[in-house]
Amino acid sequence: MPEALSLLCRISAHPESRCWALAWSPSGALLASCGGDRTVRVWGREGSGWACRAVLADGHQRTVRRVAWSPCGHFLASASFDGTTCVWRRHEHGFEVVASLEGHENEVKSVAWAPSGALLATCSRDKSVWVWEVDEEEQEFECVSVLSAHSQDVKHVVWHPSQELLASASYDDTVRLYREDEDDWVCCATLEGHTSTVWAVAWERSGQRLVSCSDDRTLRVWQRAQGHGSEHSWQCVCTLSGYHGRSIYDVAWCHLTGAVATACGDDAVRVFEEVAPASPGSPVTFCLAAQVPRAHAQDANGVAWHPREPGLLASCGDDGTVAFWRYQRPDGL
Amino acid sequence: MADLFDGIVMAEQRFHGEGYQEGLAEGSHAGMAEGRRYGALHGARMGSEIGCCLGFALTWHCLLQKCTEEKNSKKIRALDSLIGMIQKFPYEDPTYDKLQEDLEKIRGKFKQVCSMLNIQSDFRIDNERSSLTF
Repeated sequence: MPEALSLLCRISAHPESRCWALAWSPSGALLASCGGDRTVRVWGREGSGWACRAVLADGHQRTVRRVAWSPCGHFLASASFDGTTCVWRRHEHGFEVVASLEGHENEVKSVAWAPSGALLATCSRDKSVWVWEVDEEEQEFECVSVLSAHSQDVKHVVWHPSQELLASASYDDTVRLYREDEDDWVCCATLEGHTSTVWAVAWERSGQRLVSCSDDRTLRVWQRAQGHGSEHSWQCVCTLSGYHGRSIYDVAWCHLTGAVATACGDDAVRVFEEVAPASPGSPVTFCLAAQVPRAHAQDANGVAWHPREPGLLASCGDDGTVAFWRYQRPDGL
Repeated sequence: MADLFDGIVMAEQRFHGEGYQEGLAEGSHAGMAEGRRYGALHGARMGSEIGCCLGFALTWHCLLQKCTEEKNSKKIRALDSLIGMIQKFPYEDPTYDKLQEDLEKIRGKFKQVCSMLNIQSDFRIDNERSSLTF
């Protein structure tokens, strides 16, 4: 099994610090990483390895927890524990801050760009999720909604791959979904089942399913119920337990191959594949396809599939490194 | 003879019962007073918070109405929405089951309006804080 996931390259991305999250640019040419050293770093291919193309150091006063590229690839957003979200514009020689979004009362935990590029979402320890409207020409960001559906710290936000439907994960053990309703945004579904903090969520390419990972050491796959019209009815169709030794901090669902990767507090990176159902209507099952037990010297914090190159996976961890992996689906799966 | 012994034998039970009744009456009275104080305090806080929001919203609505810039129309719409939410809020019904939920929505809308107007919203009443920080 080890050869299913092989190490291509490892870089010391945030030396003497933790690396919290990764984001591939839409074309896959660049990878952004962020960490406890208050910086965002941008990496590009050089020969067979990866080289630092930019260090975005003057935007934040505290840890940078998540980064997200705009769908056009010209902007990068960074969420920080200093309570702000910075938006950086990419130009020939580097990046410059074009906006600093304030409003959250404390640590901003995550940021995500809607597929249209017209909306941005942020979430915070202040239990709220904010939706911002992007005016790209003016480079202005205006808050269009503050959502307080969660009763605790909100860890992660992520948009549906094609619709303006937002998912958030929280310390209150739930995942919530939001959509626009007339002039405001509303919480339209609550996904309950995890027994501890939900750290992250990821959508399947079709947007019909999503996967969540939790402090309860399980992954849950949720599916939109059929035949309910516009009603948002979601149900848990699969729970993956017994594979992870500690909290699962991040999950990524590859939109090219359908493989699901996880980053876990037991230092491992794992890949799961869906098992083809024996007959239509039989239960959804996933199996462990690959794992690297010591992918990082400490907790693995983030995983990200390359958007264009099937099987290329990046991971990062508390050891401050970013690792690049080649995943090959094992024969016989 | 039997009555005499009865008085003695049953004394404990009788005093127990009387004590219970007295305690219950006193406890109910104290509880009622405490509940009343608690309700008045929290009701007043909620009223003052919402009143402050409404005053803020009406003032800004008035100020923005004077200038007819197109950019203001969105702000006015958000203010309208906030004012509408406050006016619909059922203050006189403490048993309204969505009281907290609606209050959170008003607070969210207030924060959104502050962000749009570029004002610090440090107006905050509850000091509930989670201790988890990452």
